[in-house]
Amino acid sequence: MAEIQVMKNILGENDRIAAENQAMFAAKGVYVVNLMGSPGAGKTSVLEKTMEKLKDELKMAVIEGDLFTSKDADRIERHGVPVIQINTAGGCHLDAPMVQKVAKQMDLDNLDLLIVENVGNLVCPAEFAVGEDDKAVVLSITEGDDKPLKYPLIFKESAIALLNKVDILPYCNFDMESAKEDITTLHPGMKVLEVSCTTEQGIDAWCAWLKEKVAGKKNG
Amino acid sequence: MCKECGCGETNGNTRLQFFVKGYTEENAKEVEKALLGLPGVLFVHIHAHDGETVVDYAPAKTKLMDIIGVFSARGLEAAL
Repeated sequence: MAEIQVMKNILGENDRIAAENQAMFAAKGVYVVNLMGSPGAGKTSVLEKTMEKLKDELKMAVIEGDLFTSKDADRIERHGVPVIQINTAGGCHLDAPMVQKVAKQMDLDNLDLLIVENVGNLVCPAEFAVGEDDKAVVLSITEGDDKPLKYPLIFKESAIALLNKVDILPYCNFDMESAKEDITTLHPGMKVLEVSCTTEQGIDAWCAWLKEKVAGKKNG
Repeated sequence: MCKECGCGETNGNTRLQFFVKGYTEENAKEVEKALLGLPGVLFVHIHAHDGETVVDYAPAKTKLMDIIGVFSARGLEAAL
């Protein structure tokens, strides 16, 4: 009988390095959020609005995960916030070693908030911790209200869900109440915000949530 | 989940196939939601017409009896 031995537990190794990252960020009092969601969900747009609102109040930086291009990092850079691009060269998620490598190049002493924008994908990023304090998921209403039950892990793992593009809700068959009920069934007590980067609905609430988290991290 | 695309591992999850008697269209949806609400349950697929129910779950987070309990609480009989 053929026998295949598992030589290395890849996720175990990732978790070990994620714990190292977490300790490194904790030592500097930096709050880290891992921003996840499908391609086109609006992660970068949410990030741009977040920077507009918070960059004068908090010392921020961004780690930008992308498959090949630097298109998103270029958008972030225009806001004058330090950004480091990670190209995964086709890899479907960021992992802890990738984040550790770039975090060591950052001035963590001069940072309150680090946002890691993961590769656009509603599946794999949820499985790989990168050393974050919290995960956040962006789901745009154009993706459909069935997504929470179809992709439960990302909602179970995230501390907050941003239901994005609500300005076009009247033109979509998206049942907001059903989506919220499904999300809180998967993750009871999870914070769910309706947001729009066009009208800025919900952006202040999202920023307030981040500020509270940053303050909590600073106060240990 | 990630293991589906080959970039991760199973995270210790187990996939079980039940045959459940007594499904209606309504209670099948209710069962799907209730199962997905259990810790470590990442995938549920129900064929209401023949009762085939596949559940992917982490035994470290949810006991088999908790899964069985979802069926029995609704008067459904489940066999492995």
